[in-house]
Amino acid sequence: MIGFIGRNIFQKVITLFFVSVVSFLIIHLAPGKPSQIDPMNPKFTPEVMERFQKEFHLDEPLHRQYILFYKDLLSGTTVSWKDNQPVLAKIWDRFLNSLPLFIVGTILTWTISFPLGIRGAISRGGWFDRTTTFLAYVLISIPGFFFAYILIILVVNYLHVPVIGMRTFGSEFSSSVQWFMDHVWHLLLPAVLGASAGVAVLSRYVRNQMLEVEGQDYVRTARAKGLSADQVHYKHALRNAMLPFVTMFGLILPGLIGGSVIIESIFSWPGMGRMAYEAILARDYPVILTVNFISAVLVLAGTFVSDVLYMMVDPRIRL
Amino acid sequence: MLVKRVLILAPVFLTVFLLQSYFWVPTYEEQTKGNPERLQEFITASIGDASILNPILSADSASSDIESKVFEGLIDLDKDLEYRGRLAESWDISEQALFYVNPDAAVSGQGRMNARQTARFLHKAMVSENFEGRPLEKTLGNIKTVSVITPEKFRFRTKLPDQEEIVLQVAPPEAIRLELRKVDPELFVNLELLLGQGYFQGFSPEKYIKSESQAVSRIDPAILTEALPPFEHNPVIVFHLRDGVRFHDGHRFDAGDVEFTYQAIVDPENISPRVADFEPVKSVEVVDELTVRIVYKRLYSPALNTWSIGILPEHLLNERALQQEAAARGLDAKEVSLRDSRFNRNPVGCGPFEFSRWESDRFIKLTSFADYWEGEPNYREYVYRIVPDLLTQEMEFYAGTLDSYSVQPHQVERLKQDPRFQSFSGTSFGYTYIGYNMRRKPFTDRRVRRALSLAIDVPEIIQYVLYGQGERITGPFVKQTDFYNQEIEPMEYDPEKALRILDRAGWKKNRQGWLEKDGRILSFTLITNSGNEIRKSILAIVQDFWKRIGVKVSTDILEWSVFIQERVNKLDFDALILGWNMGIEPDLFQIWHSSQSDPFELNFVGFEHKEADELIIRIRQEYNKSRQVDYCRRLHEIIAFEQPYTFLFVQKWTALLDKRIVILEVDEKGEVVYKKITPTKTGNYSYYFNKWVKLPKAPEFATD
Repeated sequence: MIGFIGRNIFQKVITLFFVSVVSFLIIHLAPGKPSQIDPMNPKFTPEVMERFQKEFHLDEPLHRQYILFYKDLLSGTTVSWKDNQPVLAKIWDRFLNSLPLFIVGTILTWTISFPLGIRGAISRGGWFDRTTTFLAYVLISIPGFFFAYILIILVVNYLHVPVIGMRTFGSEFSSSVQWFMDHVWHLLLPAVLGASAGVAVLSRYVRNQMLEVEGQDYVRTARAKGLSADQVHYKHALRNAMLPFVTMFGLILPGLIGGSVIIESIFSWPGMGRMAYEAILARDYPVILTVNFISAVLVLAGTFVSDVLYMMVDPRIRL
Repeated sequence: MLVKRVLILAPVFLTVFLLQSYFWVPTYEEQTKGNPERLQEFITASIGDASILNPILSADSASSDIESKVFEGLIDLDKDLEYRGRLAESWDISEQALFYVNPDAAVSGQGRMNARQTARFLHKAMVSENFEGRPLEKTLGNIKTVSVITPEKFRFRTKLPDQEEIVLQVAPPEAIRLELRKVDPELFVNLELLLGQGYFQGFSPEKYIKSESQAVSRIDPAILTEALPPFEHNPVIVFHLRDGVRFHDGHRFDAGDVEFTYQAIVDPENISPRVADFEPVKSVEVVDELTVRIVYKRLYSPALNTWSIGILPEHLLNERALQQEAAARGLDAKEVSLRDSRFNRNPVGCGPFEFSRWESDRFIKLTSFADYWEGEPNYREYVYRIVPDLLTQEMEFYAGTLDSYSVQPHQVERLKQDPRFQSFSGTSFGYTYIGYNMRRKPFTDRRVRRALSLAIDVPEIIQYVLYGQGERITGPFVKQTDFYNQEIEPMEYDPEKALRILDRAGWKKNRQGWLEKDGRILSFTLITNSGNEIRKSILAIVQDFWKRIGVKVSTDILEWSVFIQERVNKLDFDALILGWNMGIEPDLFQIWHSSQSDPFELNFVGFEHKEADELIIRIRQEYNKSRQVDYCRRLHEIIAFEQPYTFLFVQKWTALLDKRIVILEVDEKGEVVYKKITPTKTGNYSYYFNKWVKLPKAPEFATD
């Protein structure tokens, strides 16, 4: 076990190194140079541009730039080229904003998908199964931004309450409960939108897993023993159907730093996705590379966690 | 079965919990109507966040929106686009001129003269009455004093064309210094009438220059003239500052702050994007607490406009203050420069609004400054919300949580008439054009360029692409200014005439219907950048117009940075669609002067015209506005005739404002008067922003 963990961590560190090199190269291959100024503005001269390049070490050879950048990153002193703010503090700020959205979205996805999927599998071919299948495909095919606009217009016009931003703008709350509930309300729509596609996909997946397990010999045996339907479905079938989902838990981890550009823009949510997107447009290398690096770390950590989890829940597996 | 119950109850509870939060949220009604505080706030929205709230460091529009409220410049533009004093109460523009005595020149009737003799000769000429009615009279009458000076030795560094740096030691000869009452660009031209033709050109700098590394005779004479020009114009601006103005922290504003702001801009450490604006400045001197004297290296009339830059508080940003900040943050003193200072997120200026709070990507909040020198603004708070999505902005505006909204072109028809709002519209300062690469055939021929312009129905583009929200433009100046020549008619759509012109230029239709000359079909590629729907539509429409007269055009849309760096900067294009954003000063040097047509420069179409070049230089050297206007109109005429661009249109903007917002004024009797907000000549409706108030109910105006 310990040998496995050691080996695994060693491999991941090597992978991380290659990821850092490749992402660094890709970003430098992309056309467009970073600058705080607009090249098409007649007021800004090439000399100013040149000075910026020097300040950002862009005139140095690539390997030097690579070393300089990661030295700064690991010592926590990188600053954004756009506004000279420390990158890690910026990311932490946005991370805290995106976190509740992510948590609520994930909880919604998982809690709703399971009952829907299981019920669909049990009543295979029935009206419930067909309706959820239909709805799932509707949710998968509807573009997120369109759905968001429709929801916003409906809520604003019929319920007359604000939906955008992280809280009602400019309102002071008398009690902390009200303050809290206001936050929850503002979370609701973006979280539902974020979860909608997830629910659609995951519930299909649960349904298929259940169906596969329901066809196994041991389920038939359980039925033949005279167990009640619930016992068979929820104890014998569900447990085994759950196995693949355990590994998915680990893979949620990278989602922490993802964030959705479209939903965050529409709802004026100051989250990670928007920051990363704007950094890409502005060619703000420190922010892009740091986000990239952190998400690489999270992906690797996620796969590691799911390996370990899988090993724990399924005794047959020995790595 | 526990599992089953959990599986069903968990999502049900979660959903119920989330939905019930609805009952806790204040409705729009409660926020806007039942809340008297809301009347004290002005809330506007922007799609992007500010980056750095320091006027000398920022270059984005969101930052400058905020800076214009927090900081104040020495001057700004009034409602008729004339300069008006802000932190400066008044200013005088005069000139110091200098020329080196040319000992080899024989002055008619005098022979060769040394410095003293030349000065005496000039004095005599100034009092003599021989020059009445001649151009010299004005020039001589404008001279206040004449004196002889011995300039100090100096070193001049420059780079040779082969990138080698040389240092020249210059020991200038005696010179004559002239103090002028007004700036006189014609001074030396006219003085030559007195001193003899070629007096200045005949001055040979090599006698006064030494170099350690190279023989002076082998150095390019142009470099020597650059090191020691025969004469210099040094315009001088003296600003008389307003007394008793305070920064938001109570510190008094004085001349030291102006000098500090200048030094901060030119300090290479700070990499200020404004540095080019202040390059022509020779020195900034503090004369006394309330007087600053600025001397320029050369004639450069747009210079005055640069002093509209927000003035920084020296006491918060000088070296001592930065060191203290570094100590307080536990950092090394070297790590905190002006760029890293916390000031950039907590700015202090002497503008009408004080900075209060900035939450990244959410909002920036300012509060009114009680000690503002022109009187405290009526609004208590100015809130700048970041709402990146336009539809969301629109919904928020309808709901009353935003006070203004910039209308999209397709909505103008519908919303302008809406009785719930007041609307304003005007033309913007930028224009869209098709530029032709004049280094390449067939664009070398003016007739081809003119014919291509004639073949485009611009009104149709304005009607269908811009929903009518645009105006035609014929030349490179801002349409609302006097510099724009209103007499020039836009080219009417006339494909027949275009064909006739092309026919005369030798282009005949071939069997397939394409225009052909010397076996070559008239074909080229028209490009533009991606991400701009308007330009994309124009691309297709123009391609079709040109196809109709037999021009074969292929099109390409490129990502912005590829477009700029690979095609525009490297001059690798036939024709392109692009736009310029103009300042109101008429300096066109970078975009239209023939010296600016190398790769990476902005005259990428390669426009070259002798008279235009001269006019461009004269415009930037002329301090007299009416003469400047004459030059500009002539330049406009030349550019319109040459058609290096097909000038398409300026866009119109429309803004909506809550109808309850009005101007509050106090008349002579001390009574409060409400006035309707009216835009200025240039369409700026927020010119009187500090006097705006929001009333609980929309008032009725007699003129409505």
